[in-house]
Amino acid sequence: MIAPAAVMIFLFFLMPVVLTAIFAMTNMTTATGISGGAWQVTQGAINRLKADMPDLAGGIAEPRFVIDEEGLAALEALKLKAGFSTELRASHMGEVFPSRREAERMIKALKDRPSTREVKQISDLFNRSVLNTRFETRDGLMASLKKLGFTLTPAEQETVATATYTGWVWTTENFRIIGNSPDMAQIFLNTAFYVSVTLLLFNVSYALFLAITTHYMPASTASIFRAIWLLPRITPVVIYVLMWKWLTWDSGFISMFMGQFGYPAKNYLLDSAYNAWFFVILINGFIGASMGMLVFSSAIKAIPQTQFHASEVDGASRWQQVRHVILPQLRWPILFVTCYQTLSLLASFNEILLSTRGGPGRATEVWSLAAYHTALNNYTGNLEYGLGAAMALVLVVVGIVLSLIYLRIFRYDTLISKPLIED
Amino acid sequence: MAEKPQISSNTTSANFSSLPVILLLGLFSLPLLVMYAYLFIDTISDTEAGSLIPNEFTLRHWSFLWETKAGKPNIWLVTLNTFIFASCITGVILTVSSMAGYVLSRLNVPARGFFLAGVMVLHAFPSVTLIIAIFIVLQWIGLYNSLIGVILVKAAVELPLGIWLMKGFYDTVPWEIEMAGTVDGASRFTVWRRLVLPQIKPAVMALGLFSFLTGWSEFIMPQVLAPGAKVQVLSVYLAGLIIDDNNFDFGTFKAVGVFYVVPVLILYVFFQKHLMNIYGGGTKG
Repeated sequence: MIAPAAVMIFLFFLMPVVLTAIFAMTNMTTATGISGGAWQVTQGAINRLKADMPDLAGGIAEPRFVIDEEGLAALEALKLKAGFSTELRASHMGEVFPSRREAERMIKALKDRPSTREVKQISDLFNRSVLNTRFETRDGLMASLKKLGFTLTPAEQETVATATYTGWVWTTENFRIIGNSPDMAQIFLNTAFYVSVTLLLFNVSYALFLAITTHYMPASTASIFRAIWLLPRITPVVIYVLMWKWLTWDSGFISMFMGQFGYPAKNYLLDSAYNAWFFVILINGFIGASMGMLVFSSAIKAIPQTQFHASEVDGASRWQQVRHVILPQLRWPILFVTCYQTLSLLASFNEILLSTRGGPGRATEVWSLAAYHTALNNYTGNLEYGLGAAMALVLVVVGIVLSLIYLRIFRYDTLISKPLIED
Repeated sequence: MAEKPQISSNTTSANFSSLPVILLLGLFSLPLLVMYAYLFIDTISDTEAGSLIPNEFTLRHWSFLWETKAGKPNIWLVTLNTFIFASCITGVILTVSSMAGYVLSRLNVPARGFFLAGVMVLHAFPSVTLIIAIFIVLQWIGLYNSLIGVILVKAAVELPLGIWLMKGFYDTVPWEIEMAGTVDGASRFTVWRRLVLPQIKPAVMALGLFSFLTGWSEFIMPQVLAPGAKVQVLSVYLAGLIIDDNNFDFGTFKAVGVFYVVPVLILYVFFQKHLMNIYGGGTKG
């Protein structure tokens, strides 16, 4: 009975974890494709070769002339003088000419004296080049190169194969990029700022504020406020962010409202990095606050009423009650919410993607959003799956470590009890 | 509900007035209230530029219901997709997690502790970080841009929560019922199907509702894994409308938004009590 669950979790949960690690070690992009590649001498490959093997790179780039059976067959089909092909086959078979001039000089010297037009016609038939031809196998490319008169040592073959391969290869380059690039450092700082501020201000503090204020209200009023503050969580995220966009747009609510006092209309969401952060944190904080509110409210409800009565009889002010009765008993729920929300804030980028798309510029780009932009959606169109997976892998590792810690803190072993029926 | 007001009034009435906190919280809640109020108002009215008060009633923002926009899929197809998406996810989650939860709660399977720990780690683990790998896997096996692929992925990602909740619900069912069943010679499967499952019907319903709402609201997975016009769901459709700079019209966006959010609000209002169990308690691990 547990098999379907195990299979699904394995296929779409554990496998992706492993695969993220695997993809992180590759340079997969849209250009390399995700399945295997081919070997192709492109202009880019020639540029790469120039550094190591300048002669070869120059040679491959130019057309070469090879007297081969294929060309001879084509020549016979042209129905020129029969002597041409007979002589070429007899005395020049397999010869390679590195340029058109040399090939044509040889053809001109044929006994049957071809005209200038015929020389050109004939030489065209033997024009051979590997430039931009796709080879499905490495050997195919090497065989062609050999036919064209390039004799390569195994080491040279290796260099050529690497330079011309169009598929993805194994590499640790991604981690070097993550470690060294200043962009990544900026994104890392953004993430740290975003997670800590949202967590402290909203997911914990404001949630506590909501839970405590609703606690000091008549039950009916309290349930209205709780319902209001649950709205951000239950509203589908696209609509929720749409409403914030409307609030902050050039012609939106804040602009119109400030317009009544003579301020010019502007886009409050995207006009400056400061404002963008302000709203990004509000948008996420309002959603995050509801979870803390529910957890803290039920924890406060679990505090024995007698403690409140006793403190009131002793003349405690409301602040003292909060400080000395409520807060000390909320230690575990607060720790729980902090752990849980750190993880979800680190990983979720829905709201930022829909509101600022990481803008203005890249001011509000956080780690998970940057991974998404790198691997799945960017303006240049070359999606770097490998680099994106490496960035996601950082989050995956952080996620696993944090959830393991969280498992320890919340004493998981107490949650298991032995089955009472033995099978 | 009957005894709740009494408890609260005991704590609040004595020394403190509740008016200041109500006013304070009301002030904080204003932005939310304004946004939601205008979400509904703007769909059926037009407002002059530079003004905040609507001046005429109109239904033109709702025209997307009977006219398909150029380059956009038909709204009813999209709605059907969303419904299929959310229902299938619900079905898969309920079936799979009610079985797995029972096994983890009651049967002495090998590596039970390991399974439970695994489920719990996965439950806390942010699954959205896996989306890049999932994207590549779906392209490989050819389920990219299909509803089946995204349904399986979304259901799998929600499974740990479902299994964990179901396990918790089964834990509350008294053992005596099962013991009676096994003594009478029923197999464990029959016991589960006939005796235990009916006991936790409310819980199954709550998890079902929750899964449906999660599926209905999901944005990023369909956006990445199934963005094509034929398999688009409402969230992707709406996000596509908003991103299209040529037809920027908040009235229409909001009308689509209301069309999309109303089922959620209705379900929520009717089944608030069930859902609160999950929103509050479910994440408690």
